[in-house]
Amino acid sequence: MLKMVLNTAMGASLALACATAALAEDMAAPQGDVLLTVSGDIDVTNVGDTLQLDREQLAALGMTSFETTTIWSDGIQTYEGTSLAALAELLGLTEGKILATAINDYTVEIPVSDAVEGGPIIAVLMNGQEMSVRDKGPLWIVYPYDSNKDYRSEVVYSRSIWQLDRIEVIR
Amino acid sequence: MSNRDLTYLAMKSKQRNKAGRTFAVLSGLLAFSAIIFLAFSVTKEIRLLGSANSDNVQWQLSQTEVEFLEFSKTLAELPVDLANVRQRFDIFYSRITTVLQATVFEELRDDEHFQTSLDAVQTFLRLSVPLIDGDDAALLAALPDLRQSSIQTRRDVRDLSNGGLDLFATASDKQRSAVAATMIELAAVLAILIGVLAVAVLYLNRLLRALTRREHQQHQTSTRMNAIISSSLDGVIVIDAQGSILTFSPAAEAIFGYFAEDVVGRDLATVIVPPKLRDVHYAGMERMRNGGKKAVVGKGRVQLEALRANGELFPIEMAIHSSITTEGEILIAFLRDITKRVADEVELVAARDAAVAGAKLKTEFLATMSHEIRTPLNGLLGNLELMSETELTQSQSRYVRNMDTSGRLLMRHISDVLDITRYDAGKMTTKSEPMDLSVLLQDIIDSQTSMAGANQTTLSWGWDGAPQNWIKSDPDRLQHVLLNLIGNAVKFTRNGNVTLTVAAQPDGDVIQLGFTISDTGPGMSADLAGRVFDDFVTGNTAYDRDVGGTGLGLSIAKRFVSAMNGQIGVESVLGSGSTFWVRLPVSAAQPVQRQPALPPPAARPIRPLQVLVVEDNEINRTVVRDMLEKGGHRVTEANDGRAGVTAALSRRFDLILMDISMPVMDGRTATRAIRRGTGPSAHTPIIALTANAMQEEQVNFLADGMDGVLTKPLTKAALADVLGRHTGAVQPATPQAAAPQVLNSEHNAETREILGESGYARMSGVFVEEVEQFILWLDDPASHDLSALAPQCHKFAGSAAVFGATALHTQLKEMETAAKQGNDSAVMALRSKLPAIWKATRALVD
Repeated sequence: MLKMVLNTAMGASLALACATAALAEDMAAPQGDVLLTVSGDIDVTNVGDTLQLDREQLAALGMTSFETTTIWSDGIQTYEGTSLAALAELLGLTEGKILATAINDYTVEIPVSDAVEGGPIIAVLMNGQEMSVRDKGPLWIVYPYDSNKDYRSEVVYSRSIWQLDRIEVIR
Repeated sequence: MSNRDLTYLAMKSKQRNKAGRTFAVLSGLLAFSAIIFLAFSVTKEIRLLGSANSDNVQWQLSQTEVEFLEFSKTLAELPVDLANVRQRFDIFYSRITTVLQATVFEELRDDEHFQTSLDAVQTFLRLSVPLIDGDDAALLAALPDLRQSSIQTRRDVRDLSNGGLDLFATASDKQRSAVAATMIELAAVLAILIGVLAVAVLYLNRLLRALTRREHQQHQTSTRMNAIISSSLDGVIVIDAQGSILTFSPAAEAIFGYFAEDVVGRDLATVIVPPKLRDVHYAGMERMRNGGKKAVVGKGRVQLEALRANGELFPIEMAIHSSITTEGEILIAFLRDITKRVADEVELVAARDAAVAGAKLKTEFLATMSHEIRTPLNGLLGNLELMSETELTQSQSRYVRNMDTSGRLLMRHISDVLDITRYDAGKMTTKSEPMDLSVLLQDIIDSQTSMAGANQTTLSWGWDGAPQNWIKSDPDRLQHVLLNLIGNAVKFTRNGNVTLTVAAQPDGDVIQLGFTISDTGPGMSADLAGRVFDDFVTGNTAYDRDVGGTGLGLSIAKRFVSAMNGQIGVESVLGSGSTFWVRLPVSAAQPVQRQPALPPPAARPIRPLQVLVVEDNEINRTVVRDMLEKGGHRVTEANDGRAGVTAALSRRFDLILMDISMPVMDGRTATRAIRRGTGPSAHTPIIALTANAMQEEQVNFLADGMDGVLTKPLTKAALADVLGRHTGAVQPATPQAAAPQVLNSEHNAETREILGESGYARMSGVFVEEVEQFILWLDDPASHDLSALAPQCHKFAGSAAVFGATALHTQLKEMETAAKQGNDSAVMALRSKLPAIWKATRALVD
């Protein structure tokens, strides 16, 4: 907890000190269970040198939804969540890559260039329901496979990581 | 080969090329499509093969096993981290859910073994979920069972993973062999494509070779054409359809005086066409461009006038041909300067005209001269004959005989010349009458025997093979020829033999007569033998002085033989004698009863006659008069035709001798006047007295109403013959009088000679038909009118006289007289005898 406070204080002080103070100020510490922890080379933080986001905070970044089939499920599903583009904008990412890691420590590398409008989202809802770990939740990076042929590739399939819980940014 | 053929071949070759190209393109396209298709298939297969789908699936399955192991590991940890256990369980659970739901596992799920394992794992999950989802205490309590069941489930998870591996391995194998098969197909299609390409390359190579060859040929042709054009002696000018000169050959340069480089491209008309012909030229070119009729193109050689560079007009001969090229129609003209030829032709025509005129003049001259020479010669010979009957001393008689011999020789020369003239003018006719060849030959031999005897030469004749005495031929010509040959042989032979052999060889309807006259005389050189039948050739031998001549004898003989469709020739060895031969086609004849020779006029009792002699030449008149008066006849003279007509009107004569060419009125006109009139001498026999030997003329004499012809020079014998023949007939016939001969063969032969064989046949046909009709007409009651009968009798009597049908002539004359006298019974008596006489006549006239 001390560490947490310290982190917050440090984050606050850092936020005050940097140009993105306004953003940092806005990004409060998560109130609910943390769904996603962003670490690495980032300016926007709220807990220590990481940015930890709960369900509400993620939703506040803007929700995007689409329908698509996947090779891991049967039939058309609706996915809803924060677009990777929104997250990249929040973090001011224009280049580099992110390392996305699942609960079981499985990690994939996603180039920042994938974070585009109409591109992948960090899904929090499938068919309007929150996703349990058994349903590949709580977070799942889903690409709109049906809308773009390029997304129906092994590379993109491999980047579609489920049971996501943390991201490391490498510029 | 014609242009059309070439075009056709080119078209055919083009069609073949087109078909070849189409085939190559189609084959190529087919192979190419196959390759595209196979390449696509291969790409797809490779993508399938290389796709991470299966890898991903296998990874997923092995990951499932890993997650299960992770989960199992949390169960075995001490102290147990329950949150960790739950999370690991959930992760494993999600894995199995994926295996159950994901489309990529569809095939696997259909596998029975896989499904069994999956079912077992699912059962484990179903049984475990309540425990995991329960509270910590319950979970802690259930941990040993969970551990136990997880150990059992582990095998199933492994089976799941391995089963997937096996299945995917099999699938991979299948896919790989499919790829391999596709690759083999691809290779095969590639091989086919390469084959097609190779064929195409070979084909193109062949095309290229053919093209090269054709190009080479074209080049050669072109070179050859240029060489031909350059070396042609005729000028060659090629123009296009507009008339512009394209080619102007060196020969054309020489002809027209232009250099090719100065005129190529210029309008042909302004270069070589004379101004007056240019309009025609332009019109012709225009017509040709419009596809109209071509006046000179392809029409062979035409002669035109052309213009030289120096403005000279000259004649050319040219031939134009047209040809279609890629640049349109062109005309190729071959031209020749014919200035010299035209000049030569003009000269030649002039020379020919002069020659023809000269030849005509010569013939006319000869005919005229013969007449002009004969007339005085007649006078000479006549006077000599009269003189020989006066009191003469012995030497005077010899002189007279010599003069007579010379005169007759001269006359014969004139006849020879006339014969040649006649033959060369194509006016020689031959007779074809029955004759006894043996008699003729014997006569000839007899006439020459004394001459031969004088030269101590024996003369004989004989048949070689079976004799053929009676033949149809021209006895006068034949006698002339044989007499000439035998006479020559006798003349040239001293102390030797002259033999005449004759052979008759039947050859179908024709009999080939072969006469051979062999002598043992001096012979001839080959050179002389070669030209002995030419005009004016005389043997240049030591006997020349003895045997001189005009050199026309053999050439006339040759002409006579030719006129009778025969051949004549000679074989001779100098010093060993000569053999002349004659081959003559004749036909066989039925023997004719030989006419009893007329008794010599002097010995024949003839009553004194009243004779009118119409003749302008005083000497000749005197000769005739003296000859007649010596025979006891009374002569009345008239010195021209008109005087003759007047005399004939004054009284009745027994005979009129009528000269033909006379001043005031000629003999023919006078004869017609006498015959037309009703004078007492209207029916008196009139005999032409002429030196004009042209026989065709004599036909006209008979047509004028004359009864015969006496040729000058007049001989006593000929005159006596005519007197006997014609005046005997006009004597009133008495029942006791011997029947007149049916046919006077001499007269008939004369008519034949005059008319020629074909003319005679035609005329005798007309005669027979007319007389037949006349006899039929006599049975008609209308003929009983005596005034109608008389002119008919007169008419047919005249015709009968022409054919020498003496009996018929006499009978008709008597009927005419009787009719005129109105003696009906005499007419009837004469009429009854007519058919029999006609029957006999007809048999002989034909």
